[in-house]
Order: sequence, then structure tokens, then C-alpha cells
Amino acid sequence: MTRPILRFRPLRPAVASDRPSTLDLLLTITPPPAAAGATLRERPPLNLALVIDRSGSMSGTKLSYARKAARFLAGELTSRDRLAIVSFDDEVQIVVPSRLVADPQPFIAAINTIHSGGCTALFDGWRVGATQVAEHLDPGAMNRVLLLSDGQANEGLTNQEQIAAKVAGLTQRGISTSAFGLGDDFDEDLMGAMAAAGDGTLAHIETPSQLADLYASELQGLASTFGRRVSLGVRGKHGAEVVDRLNDLTPTTAGNHQLPNLRACQELNVGLQINLPAWIPDQEILSVRLAWEAPGSGERQSLIEHLQLPVMESEEIKQLDPDGAVAEQLAVFKANRERNRVIAELDRGDVGSASVSLGKLFGDLSVMPATPRLTRELNLLSEKLALLKSDPKRGRKRLRNESQRSSLNVWESDDEQT
Amino acid sequence: MGHEAYSLDTCTASVDNLDMVKVSTPADALYGLEDLLVAAGDLLREEISPRTVRLYATQGLIDRPGKEGRSAVYGQRHLLQLVLVRALARRGLSLSAIAPFCVLADADLEQQLEQLDGEGAAATAPSASTGNEALQYLRDLSSTADGPDSPADESSSFARKATAMGSVLGMLNKPLSSLSRSERTPSGSRSSDGGSRWLRFTLAPGIEVHVRDSVLPPPAGPRRQQWLQHLLDRLNALLDAADR
Repeated sequence: MTRPILRFRPLRPAVASDRPSTLDLLLTITPPPAAAGATLRERPPLNLALVIDRSGSMSGTKLSYARKAARFLAGELTSRDRLAIVSFDDEVQIVVPSRLVADPQPFIAAINTIHSGGCTALFDGWRVGATQVAEHLDPGAMNRVLLLSDGQANEGLTNQEQIAAKVAGLTQRGISTSAFGLGDDFDEDLMGAMAAAGDGTLAHIETPSQLADLYASELQGLASTFGRRVSLGVRGKHGAEVVDRLNDLTPTTAGNHQLPNLRACQELNVGLQINLPAWIPDQEILSVRLAWEAPGSGERQSLIEHLQLPVMESEEIKQLDPDGAVAEQLAVFKANRERNRVIAELDRGDVGSASVSLGKLFGDLSVMPATPRLTRELNLLSEKLALLKSDPKRGRKRLRNESQRSSLNVWESDDEQT
Repeated sequence: MGHEAYSLDTCTASVDNLDMVKVSTPADALYGLEDLLVAAGDLLREEISPRTVRLYATQGLIDRPGKEGRSAVYGQRHLLQLVLVRALARRGLSLSAIAPFCVLADADLEQQLEQLDGEGAAATAPSASTGNEALQYLRDLSSTADGPDSPADESSSFARKATAMGSVLGMLNKPLSSLSRSERTPSGSRSSDGGSRWLRFTLAPGIEVHVRDSVLPPPAGPRRQQWLQHLLDRLNALLDAADR
């Protein structure tokens, strides 16, 4: 199997023949598993730049962990991979220009020289790191900038939309960007926008000791990437109209949407709500086109699937049991989206309404059948409710992070998952 | 965002549009010209002028609009045609090359659009030159982002630099003031600049041609060739002048 599988999973497996109706639908995309016997050795080569914030706020433990994690990263790469290391405060320094990682020692020696300094010229740091990757751009490799910052951009270009537009421009030209925020003071909106525009990973690390795990997961993700620059086009047929896309995916041109990278063994789900007129049997409801670029070939590939469902009287459909797994996934998407409302309320200084909204969200999920996943979601929500009182800044960061799980590869540490 | 309406129970919409079972006929969604421009503009994320629509209609790229009283009405098919023409034109295809696509059935028009999407830079540039393109892109970024003391206000600093350079280079650079816009649609798009509209074409990395909306290029054929030759001669003379 070398192509992803696209499955339609309706909440109820029929549409109404006697009156207009609404169809709740989950699209599940399953990339093929890594080919049998494929080892890390057979993955596409990596062409990376690690861009490290060394502004004043990084001093002490954070920077020492950042150095340690960078040494770990250099140690994990092979002689087929390139790595550049760039650090920035108000100035940008190329610590190690892009080179093949035949021997990690020179990297490690150079990493040890990084010391903390002044302001946070985040955009310039990204740009210089990206240039290191671009100078050795290899269409057969995974070309990516890894940006690690603990602060607000306060030097050089700082406008979020402008930075995101520039990151997106580079994604179009074959270089992706992951954004890793460290601690309690980074700009979660900016980092989220950069990871979304960069077709990369978003991570929020609260303690620097998690950095090595994050880098390991990022390398694993890069190695198992099956498709990048993934787009999904959904078209209603015969009067069917897609009225809601629950993931709040970034739109691309011509009405399609951007999905996160496809990774071996990592299922992606997309929630849709579709309004239908009274339905005639054997008519196509939707056509869905998934397109992606395979690393290594640079060629764009695509897959088209069509949805048809049996028709029944609407009264009969009401008697059908909803698919529990679908209901759960749709509810999680909805809860991710509702977090944005909570954030907007927090930003207005209205902690009261934010608490009420979180409480309502908790209530909606708690009436659903308990599964390990839902239990985890409920724990996340109750933890946020407590944080609104004790540490709203951290609460906002986590809410933003969780809200973007619908549309991005968001790193979650193993301890949080258990 | 419409999520309040979402419910895990299958809910039913109001019973009003039972004639919608037909395949996307123009009758199932009618637009006035303004609506059509807005709908297409949203999809393409570029402004489209009424003039463009009329031009395409006279050239047969878009079906003639229907009439409702004295005003023109457009349907789903017109929207598909318009979006497809613009999407292909932005890739640098001539209108005469686009014309054969515009007479396709609606489903095929949609298919075309779906295939176009997301293939952007990768499809238009051979992979060997992609590296240069990324690098050139970043170099362009640094020349604007490093502008003195107001890096966020790239347009004015860039325009200032362009003016300071004077002569041909300044003239070629000036319409680049809406930089972020040109990044979104690298192979040809419209932009507004001081009230007038410009159609832009990317000929090669770093080289763009900007044509004011009011300029109508001659249709493909000998007149077009003559017109282009005239422009080429003019550019040649300007480049010579800049060398001196």
C-alpha cells in the first residue's frame, strides 16, 4: 500500500429522502505505514537549520537546556543530513553554517559558545536560518527551519500577519518551518501562526528538559513524513452544501484547505457538516480530493473519493444509533474551536465569561460516553479552568495550543498524554 | 462561525429549496455582478474588476450573463469560469490558451480547479530551480526587512529606496510596493496602487511586468506580437540608458 486511504464516516449511515437534512461527517485519512523493513537510514535526508533564541530571558537553565538539546539533535543526525545552527538576540549569529553532519563534534563545540544577550530579533533569526537551508535546498530532502524562542519578537519585523505571510511564501518554495515556544513568555499567537504558515510542527514546552523529547519527536515526524503541502478539496454535489468545516483549516486558493503533513501511521480527521436537500438514491453527495507532495520526488500526487449514502425516511434515520467514535471526534473538534472563544473572552479581560464558557464546554463533553480520550479532554478542560484563576497567561498559552490541534501537527509530550 | 448551530443530532433545515437537486445549474445560485466579483475575489484572494469580467465575457471565456430586467445575472457556472480563468492567467497562461477550458461542463471545470490548487510554486517551477527561488525570495525579504528604523513599514521604505535609485530600476521597482500581495500570488495578480489597478505577471524570479487595468492588450495574433515588440524595444532602450 503506497497511497493514503480516505474514508467517509457519517455520524448516521443514511440521508433523508423525504426532507432536507443535515449530515455530520468525518473524513479519515490514513497514510500508509512506513514500508516494511524501512529503517531510519532510508528516510529522505534532512536539511535543517536550528534557530535558537539567546535573548536575555533565555539565560541560565533555559539556554543550558537549549544547548544540550541542540547537541542531542546534532548527535541524532547522520552523514547524509545537513544542519546549520543560528542564534539570535538583537543580532543574528550563524553559529555553524550549514554542513553535513559527518561528525557532531564541531557542532557541539560551537553550540557550547552560545551565550545569552539582548533583545529578540525573531524574524531576522528565522530569515538567516532559512537562508542556510535555502543555500543547500534539496528537493529530495526534508528542508526545514526549527525555531526555538522563549520571548516576544521585539526587534526587527514583529507584526504577526506579515511574518506569517513571509513564512508561507517560503513554504511555497519548498522550505517548511516548525515553531517551538519555551516557557511562559513566548508569543503563542505568533508561534502558532508561523507553524501554520510553515507547514510544520507547533510546540509549547513549559520546561526546557522537554526539549530533547521534542527534537526526537520532530526528527521522527520528519523521517515518517509521507506527504507535505497537503491540500483537501471538498465539493458538494447535486445541491449538497458544506456548511461547516470543524477543523478551521487554513484556506488555500480555489476554496481548498491546508492539512498538516501526512505522517506514516498518523491518522488525520476532518469534521464536516453538510446540508442536503431531500435526497434521491444513488446520487453522489461529495467529491473529495486530497493532494500532497511526496518528499523525495517533489511531485504532487492526488487521490479522489466520492461519497454516496443510502437514503431513508428521516424518522427512520433518527432511530439509527450514531457512531460513537465519530461523535467523539466531532465533539473534540468543536471543543478545540470553542477554546478560541474562551481566549477572546480572556483577551477582553472577561475572566468570568471565559470560566463560564469553559464550564459549558466541560458540561457538553461530560455527558458523552466516557472513553480514555474524552477523559483526557475533560482533564485538560478542568486544568484550564483552574489555570484561569491561578495563572491566566499560562492558561491562554495552553488553550491556544490545544485549539490548534484540529488544524496543525501539535507536539504533546508523553507525560501529558498519559 | 456557525458552530452554535452544530448539533450531534441530525437536525433538519427549512424546507424551501426542493428544486436544488439539479446539478449546479446557474439557476441555483444567482449573483449580480457585484456578488460575482466578491465571491470570486474571496476564492482567489485578489480583487477583480467589473472590467475584467466584461472583457472575459466579450472574449467568450465566460458565458454571457442572463438578464433579469435590465441587470445582468450570473450563476455558479460563471463563477467557476471566472475563477478558473484567473487561476490559469496567474500561472502565466494566455487567454487564448485558457479559452478551451472555459467551455467544459461544470463538473470538468471544478475538476480543473481542484487540480490547480496547491500546486503553486512546485508546479510552475522545475524542481531544479526551486532552490534558487527560495534563496532569491529570502534575499528579497532581507532587502525589505532590513529597511532603516521602520522595518514593519516595508512599503514606504522600499518605495523610498526605489525612488532614490531613480531611472529604470526605480521605475521597475515601484509597483512592488504591495509586496505581501505579490508573495501570495507569485505568478501574476492584481493589485491596487493609489486608486489605479494593476495586473502583474512574473516572467522569471525577480522580474515582473505590471500592466494598468485600463490598458487592454491586443488579442493574440500579429497585433499582439507587434505590441510586444514595441514594448521590448522600449525596455531595451531604457536598459541601455540605465547602463550609462
